[in-house]
Amino acid sequence: MIRLNEVFLRLGKAGHASSVEFDLPFFEAASGETIALTGPSGCGKSTLLNLVAGLRRPDRGEVIVDGADLAGMSTEQLDRHRGVHCGMVFQSFHLLAPFSAVENVAIGLRFGARKSLNAGQRASEVLRRVGLGDRLHARPAELSVGERQRVAIARAIAGDAPILLADEPTGSLDPDTGREIFSLLREVASENGRTLLMVTHDSELASELPINFDCSGLVRSARPSSEDREHSA
Amino acid sequence: MNFFAMAWRYLRFRWLVSLLTVAGISLGVALVCAVLSLRHESERALSREAGLYDLVAGGKGSPLQLVLASVYHLDSPTGNVPYADYERLRRDSRVLWAAPVGLGDNYSGYRIVGTEVQFFDLPDRNGEPFFRFREGKVFEDRFEVVLGSQVASSSGLGIGDNFFGTHGLVEVPGAEVHRDFPYRVSGILAPTGTAQDRAIFGTLESVWEIHETEDRLHSAIQGTALLEGRKKREATAILVRLKTPGLRLWMADEIRKETDGIAAIPINEILRFQRGIVGPVQRALLAVAAAVVAVSCLTVLVTLHQAAERRRRDIAILRSIGAVRAEVAALVFTEGLLLTGGGILVGLLLGHGGLALSVGPFRETTGLVLNPWQIPSSELIALGVMAGCGAIASLFPSISCYRRTPIEDLHLTE
Repeated sequence: MIRLNEVFLRLGKAGHASSVEFDLPFFEAASGETIALTGPSGCGKSTLLNLVAGLRRPDRGEVIVDGADLAGMSTEQLDRHRGVHCGMVFQSFHLLAPFSAVENVAIGLRFGARKSLNAGQRASEVLRRVGLGDRLHARPAELSVGERQRVAIARAIAGDAPILLADEPTGSLDPDTGREIFSLLREVASENGRTLLMVTHDSELASELPINFDCSGLVRSARPSSEDREHSA
Repeated sequence: MNFFAMAWRYLRFRWLVSLLTVAGISLGVALVCAVLSLRHESERALSREAGLYDLVAGGKGSPLQLVLASVYHLDSPTGNVPYADYERLRRDSRVLWAAPVGLGDNYSGYRIVGTEVQFFDLPDRNGEPFFRFREGKVFEDRFEVVLGSQVASSSGLGIGDNFFGTHGLVEVPGAEVHRDFPYRVSGILAPTGTAQDRAIFGTLESVWEIHETEDRLHSAIQGTALLEGRKKREATAILVRLKTPGLRLWMADEIRKETDGIAAIPINEILRFQRGIVGPVQRALLAVAAAVVAVSCLTVLVTLHQAAERRRRDIAILRSIGAVRAEVAALVFTEGLLLTGGGILVGLLLGHGGLALSVGPFRETTGLVLNPWQIPSSELIALGVMAGCGAIASLFPSISCYRRTPIEDLHLTE
């Protein structure tokens, strides 16, 4: 289960013109739920996703992921927690160029808390699952964009993480491929009862998910803090 | 796929930069290896030969020149000493072995050394005979000679072959050839790995006879009477081995006081030569090599730093899929170690390979035999220091990776 409670986060340097504040009173996702995070650009969808992944730390509030409060964790604990509990899929795939598809998936199983002895075998299995059984040894540059995103999905599910975090996974794909990837994500999420949080601008895709969470209004321009005011005085 | 395999794959991915970095390191390492190894080997070879003789007595002049001329056949002799001095030394109860050396002629640049039969009885420091005959036997007739192994192999002369000596210690075009005095080869020595391999050993009487006749001829041409003094039997130097090496200084002092000549202790002269003349040159070369290595280490630092900067996105991806920051730092550090290790390995091979190529010319020039694949302890220490420098250079970019937060770098494009 994921729960964010009274989360406040300042983004950018304090007092700087571009500084913004992320303020989320409450968010909850039960295990196995599939939620679309929607809203206009810059509204805080990705920030919410990154808070759940432990890639950002809140200045205040609770971020509970699978029973652990991320706010009090060290950097190492966050890395390990993320490795075990979250699989991430990005808009620009984020594959490692020197490595083949199977290696890209296996690498995720070689690090941190998910270290696995049969990483190669597991990587091949999940790649077959996402329809890339014949592309195991192709490098990212040799794959189509749709295939690259399939590899990224395979990497995200290879460690059996209970939470899938997808940041605009169809944003770089043509509509047909985007729909294929969307379907695949839903399939792999439902197979193992994974929780899926998916950031999307595509209202049509979002409408197909059972829950939509509108992030509008979560981010606003930063108000000068009392310290800033004292400083300027 | 472990850290090494991953690091190796990244290095292969940007192969040109990796290759240039390894080349930079290896050049510095090769220079250090070559200089240190050459110093060690030349010291070993020179000391080995110098250690065979406790004293060299000769005419007044530079002791180093006397040693170089009579032991290494490299320099001009300082002057002659009376043969009687040799006879006195030979009878001295403190002397284990002594032999006269008379120089004056050469054959194809190889010096013809006039001496006596007991020259070949010289024992090495273990008491075993130092000279062994590969073919034939020691000279019996006045104009018979024994060839050093290198002379035999390069000249093609064999047992029973004849040749003429040429006046002078080095080969000079137009120099006088002693056609009235043909030498005949009676024996060929086995290689000793010393300057003796580059010498031709004949009788001292032959040297006297050739040069006495030459002097008579010159006197007749010039219309002057041959000075009686020139008829005196002389030697260029006397090589001496004592029963107790501890008597060297005492005996040398005694020779200086009782004769008109000087006595040099070869090992002391060679060590002084190396420390005083060769040492500073080697130190300068080592300083250059150290500078090259320092630049190479900086190259590793810059290369890894740039690689880490270019890979900020990759590092962030690894963190996003669960790698802890110590692991990504270890990955970057491993890349640095591979570059440094590769550079050291290639440099070691280049340095010693270069030295192996110089063995022939070095032997040709000095007669000394180098072992190019010997790694002296000083070189091992230098390699350790260079590996340490490479490791330190690798540490900086890995610390930088350790400190980075992945969130900003995830938005970088490929």
